[in-house]
Amino acid sequence: MVVDDSRLVKVQLEDTLQGTGYEIAAYCRSGEDAIAQYDAVMPDLVTMDIIMQGMDGLDAAEIILKQHPDARIVIISSLAYKDTFDRAKTIGTRGFIDKPFHREQLLSVFEQALQP
Amino acid sequence: MNTAISQEELAQILDQALQEVTEYTAGVRLHQGSQPPGEDLCTVHITFDKGFSTSLTLCADKSLLARMACNSFHEESVTPADLEEFSKEYLNVLCGKVTGAMYQATQIPAHFSQPVFYHGRYEPEGQEAQFILTYSDEHCEGAQLIHHVPRTGEDGAVPVEIEQKGV
Repeated sequence: MVVDDSRLVKVQLEDTLQGTGYEIAAYCRSGEDAIAQYDAVMPDLVTMDIIMQGMDGLDAAEIILKQHPDARIVIISSLAYKDTFDRAKTIGTRGFIDKPFHREQLLSVFEQALQP
Repeated sequence: MNTAISQEELAQILDQALQEVTEYTAGVRLHQGSQPPGEDLCTVHITFDKGFSTSLTLCADKSLLARMACNSFHEESVTPADLEEFSKEYLNVLCGKVTGAMYQATQIPAHFSQPVFYHGRYEPEGQEAQFILTYSDEHCEGAQLIHHVPRTGEDGAVPVEIEQKGV
C-alpha cells in the first residue's frame, strides 16, 4: 500500500516495482486515508510519506502500528534528519528511504522490512 | 541559506541536486550556460522556514517543464493542471535533496513550505536574488534556479551569476 500525495512518486514506484513481483494493492493520498483503508487492504507492506496534507505520515504510522503491531511500514521521505529517523524508529517503522529513491535501495529496504 | 555554508558551497549543492533530480525524475539533462529562459515562462517558488528566511525560485520555459512533465507522468501531452502539479512536485523533490545535502554539511535541519506555482516570472516580495544558476538543455530550452535572501536595502548585494562546470 502506497501512502503519498505525490503523483510523481506514484509513477516512480510503479516503474520501479514493475517486474519485481511486488504489486501495489492500494494508493492513499493522506494519513487519514491510510488509517481508514488499512483494515480493508491488510497490505504486506506500507510505504509512507511524511509531509502530506492533513495528518503527517509519522502520526499515521503510529496509529496504524498501535492498531496493528505487526504492520510493516517503510518511510519514504526527503526529511532525512536524525530526529525524524529517531521518531520513525521509536514508532516501530521498518525502514527509511530518501527521496528521490533508487531501485536497488528500495528493493533492499523492502526485503529487510518483510523479514519476520 | 545560512551562514554555516558559503555561497559557493550552496550553489554547488543546488547545482548537483538540480542536475540529479532533473535527470532522475524527468529524463532531461540540463547543463549550466548563460542563455536565460525565453518569454513563455512558468515559475515555482518555495520558502525555507524554521529559521531560514530564504527561498528558492525555479523559473523555466513552459515547453521545458511540459516536456519534463510528459516524461515523468508517461503522458504524450499534459494539461495546465498537470504542468502545475509536476512543477510543484519537482521542486519539492529538489528541495528535499538540497536540504538533505545541507543537513549533511551543517547538521542544521531545514524545512520548506508547499511550493507555489505562477504563470510568467515571479519575484518574491521583500527578497532579492543572491545568486542565479542558469541552465539549458539539448533543445535550447532553459531554466533558472534563483536563491533569494531578504532584501538588505538599496545598497544590497547584486545578484551573482555563478557558472560551474563539471560539478
